[in-house]
Amino acid sequence: MQTKDEVLEQVKATLVELFEIAPERVTMEARLNADLEIDSIDAVDLLDRLRRQTGRKISADDFRSVRTVGDLVNAVHAVLQA
Amino acid sequence: MEERQTYLWRILVTGACFVLFGVGGLILGLIVFPLVLLLPGGPARRRARTRGLVQRAFRLFVATMSGLRGVSYQFKGQERLGRPGQLIIANHPTLVDVVFIVAFTPAPACVVKAALFANPFTRRVVRAAGYISNAPTDSMIEQATGALRSGDALVMFPEGTRTRPGQPMAFHRGTASVAVHGASVLTPIYIRVDQPLLHKTQPWYRVPPRRPHISIEVGADIDLEPYRHQPPPKASRRLNAWLLAHYEQELGESRSYNASSRV
Repeated sequence: MQTKDEVLEQVKATLVELFEIAPERVTMEARLNADLEIDSIDAVDLLDRLRRQTGRKISADDFRSVRTVGDLVNAVHAVLQA
Repeated sequence: MEERQTYLWRILVTGACFVLFGVGGLILGLIVFPLVLLLPGGPARRRARTRGLVQRAFRLFVATMSGLRGVSYQFKGQERLGRPGQLIIANHPTLVDVVFIVAFTPAPACVVKAALFANPFTRRVVRAAGYISNAPTDSMIEQATGALRSGDALVMFPEGTRTRPGQPMAFHRGTASVAVHGASVLTPIYIRVDQPLLHKTQPWYRVPPRRPHISIEVGADIDLEPYRHQPPPKASRRLNAWLLAHYEQELGESRSYNASSRV
């Protein structure tokens, strides 16, 4: 069972690798679109990567309300719990 | 006097072509396609038949437009269209360019405006042909990538909408993303119009002063290899920037008429 902190570390590593974002910019409050410049096209690649990392079925609908890194961590955490 | 006559004639032809397109879409959608759907065969056969019918209908439409001397056109490199997994991209200066591309590409899939799936004249046809809606973006990218990987040729307009004269072109990164994810080969088409013709801000009856000429040229394939070894977000950004610069260079001259001919 992963804690939210562990999920955050994993999400951070993914964002750094996929989008070349400086790790210190990836905080729980950072907004994906406004602060990190991740748009709906990037979201497709991000979800694809998360699916492979977690081995879970992740539907885009579960992530529609995701706005911040914190939202993303919570959504991934919820998927892992399910 | 003679010019005045051809001008009025072309207004008439243009109006008639709009009517023909609407009525044709309605007849195809209400009568022909439902009948075709009754023929035996799975969804793949059905889709292929529908696309074949769309292609023939568009060829007829092109023949009508040019036969009635509403436009003249030249299509170069047609034989290089329709390879498996081929992503075909084009600029979009006029309403009618897509008709030419679909008319001369063997059975392509197309990404089309979501509104065409709601428009009563077109919605049955775009559904039966298995065309892909441009919204929402994530499902567009997934469906487009899937179509290419299954061996379809796919037509996309990176501008997303018709070019606005006098304004710089902008490319949506969705096309580059689809190319990076799913295309086996990427082929550009350069469309040049010698005068503004049915562009975004032009009502249909405002026909150009002379008979417009549309040139459609299939360019050399674009090498995707440099983009295959990077994470997709980075690769699609680089490819998108490259494509935009490439089109600006290729269209250089024919774009400048746009800027100067703003009425």
